[in-house]
Amino acid sequence: MTHLSTEGKHLPLEGIKVVETAQGVSGPACGRILAGMGAEVIKIEPPYNGDWSRKVGPHLNQDNPYESSALFLYNNTGKKSVTLDLQTKREFNKLNELVETSDIFIEDWDLNFRKSFIFNLDMFSTNNSNLIELSVTPFGLSGPYAHFRSSSITQLALAGILNLIGEKDREPLMLPGYQPEYLTGINGANAIQIALWDREFENAAGKFLELSILETLANLHQPPLDMDGQVRHRSGHRQSPLSSKGFPPGVCTLEASDGSVTFGGGSQAIWEQLCLMLNRTDLSENTSYDNVFDHPESGVIVDKIMEEWMTEKTKREVFHEASSQWMLPVAPVLDIDEILSDPHFEFRDAFQSINHPIAGKALYPTPPYMLENQRLNLRRAPLLGEHNKEYL
Amino acid sequence: MNRKPRKKECSGALNSVRIIDLTRVWAGPLGTRTLADFGAEVIKISDPRVPLPTIGRVTNKLNRNKKNLGLRLDTRSGRNLFFKLVSISDVVIENFRPRVMRNLELTYDVLHKVNPSIIMCSMPGYGLQGPYSEYPAFGSTAEAISGINSMLGYNKDKPLQTGLSYADPISGLNSVNLIMSMLRKRLLTGKGSHAELALVDSPLGTLGEYFVSHSAGIQNGCIRSNKDQNITPHGVYRTKGEDNWISLSIQTNSEWNRLVNMIGDERLKSSDMKDATGRKNNEPLIDFCISEWAIRMERDSVMKLLQANNIAAASVQNNLEVFEDEHLNYRNFFTQLTEKYYGQQTYDGQSMPGNKKPKKEWFPMKELGEDTDQIVNHLLGLKPQKAEISKDAK
Repeated sequence: MTHLSTEGKHLPLEGIKVVETAQGVSGPACGRILAGMGAEVIKIEPPYNGDWSRKVGPHLNQDNPYESSALFLYNNTGKKSVTLDLQTKREFNKLNELVETSDIFIEDWDLNFRKSFIFNLDMFSTNNSNLIELSVTPFGLSGPYAHFRSSSITQLALAGILNLIGEKDREPLMLPGYQPEYLTGINGANAIQIALWDREFENAAGKFLELSILETLANLHQPPLDMDGQVRHRSGHRQSPLSSKGFPPGVCTLEASDGSVTFGGGSQAIWEQLCLMLNRTDLSENTSYDNVFDHPESGVIVDKIMEEWMTEKTKREVFHEASSQWMLPVAPVLDIDEILSDPHFEFRDAFQSINHPIAGKALYPTPPYMLENQRLNLRRAPLLGEHNKEYL
Repeated sequence: MNRKPRKKECSGALNSVRIIDLTRVWAGPLGTRTLADFGAEVIKISDPRVPLPTIGRVTNKLNRNKKNLGLRLDTRSGRNLFFKLVSISDVVIENFRPRVMRNLELTYDVLHKVNPSIIMCSMPGYGLQGPYSEYPAFGSTAEAISGINSMLGYNKDKPLQTGLSYADPISGLNSVNLIMSMLRKRLLTGKGSHAELALVDSPLGTLGEYFVSHSAGIQNGCIRSNKDQNITPHGVYRTKGEDNWISLSIQTNSEWNRLVNMIGDERLKSSDMKDATGRKNNEPLIDFCISEWAIRMERDSVMKLLQANNIAAASVQNNLEVFEDEHLNYRNFFTQLTEKYYGQQTYDGQSMPGNKKPKKEWFPMKELGEDTDQIVNHLLGLKPQKAEISKDAK
């Protein structure tokens, strides 16, 4: 498969100009998605140190860490970097000039910062009536938490996600890395795309879009939050129940000979098929999907039967047998290195090798879509201030 | 572009977009719910022989603001009706395994002949091509094969699943961006197009930094419980009561000093802990001291106390507490819908900002086939007897 050219006039956001002062992950992830779709994204960074994510390790080149942070490199592919010291009137005005001729502006100024900053930060969308300004903050610009400090783990805590992950009797677990920020970045790119459509197809004016990380996360619960008055407890290696009825046995993550395997499910048909594979149809005859909670121990019993069934099999043997012979939704738990060498992801060009003058070569996940059978082509992240001459 | 003028039925940025929704379960319906919240006319097609799932009101939650057409795609008359609908629609979205649309002979090539400007979005588990493409996948298995679970757990030997089918919501959100990109491309070219979004590809994109560093030979993807590679303390601590926890993270030395003053434990005042490296080296002792302090405290008062001192801390809320959360409620995040069988229900609103359909125009999930007559007779303008034929096709 080939990659779509970024040079040709094929990309959906060709001709759209974006200015991004947001740092870290949420705002920059949003800018990265737009850059991948063909937008011209100008990243404004503070001089000397740049975006704070440049400091976050691991760094690919110890001699020049600020140009080789994996987090920064990934979240800023396809962008231009311009350094501006927004504390000075002259350079703040320069930002305003750039924003005045842009379609989109992505910033992450929370309420505290807006109030305390030396210059007025509320005038960008007034000065350019076509401007779509995305404000990305943890809690939005109003409400009791608007002044709160936060990090990924506290966001997941407030949003009710943390409480669902881990063993019931042990501490709740967070999702790896920067999941709240990444999801908010996707949400932000969606909001911008819809506002662009509104502007260009419906002739609407520009917009001030106020996006919050907490609200993004609160949308990610599968069942309704009130769940008929029931607390949804952590379910360990099992899938979290969608109602007091729960899932049938066998919907869980278990050990094969060389690692873990996850078994999906949630229907009578899959439960019966699983028992067929285990050669234990007596189980599905005795314990049906509908009365799973009449036999709370059935999950434990079935776990044991499943682990015995696969004690001699590798996780990949279980995966292929269950998926191809029994059409069961089953997959091995793969780690980062196993994914990088997996034949399926390789066949699908899920990663693109990008060379960076300081960080060197690395594999980057391409955007998850294929348009007309083609992946989008990524370009490397910019060096700090690499495009100052072009824009200043 | 050849767009037929359309009577505006509702407001919202996407009021002129018509979407045929063949998706089931979670990822697809979350994507089309988002588009529907922004005013798109989403017509969900359901097989009349299969009742809509009722477990936990999940289907209700994910299918508000969508119409429902009961239609079989495997009969001649159902197929003809489907093509008529395709000819006046903008988008077709589906999340079957690849062979389902192939067997129904409803691939993009076929739909493109019916309507050259149609946009098709396929969301198969493993993608339309590749060695695993015909394997079934759920959100829970996709998060396993795409790396999330390998980094989740209490120790390295036993990875856990999120339990949330986490690949589904990521993929659902990604589908909105993809569909909007294709709509925009059509504005520029006048042509429809086909795209795919594999469920297993979505989590790769939220773990990007791990792939970048590992492919460059730097390992940083091990299971680390709630620990952060650089920040100490970082985690959750049990407070008074049953299953009550406070989460916190300390990023700067001044935050650390404020925390130490609040806790007042002499062991934390050691100069060994004054910077991030020193704190990382003393992590077990720091966690022990904070745990001792936190267990005597009320959870929500710890959050208030720490936030008053500018420290990132938050109560670990359960689903019912999120439902009652003062901030989310202050910001009118939730929405009320009155359903036929369940009465008035409160659901999560739409986190994505912009020109949404006004909440007074929102409607609850439609029952199977509830809009069949309206769509067949009025939208497609078929004569009553033809509508009868399509009813037989159920």
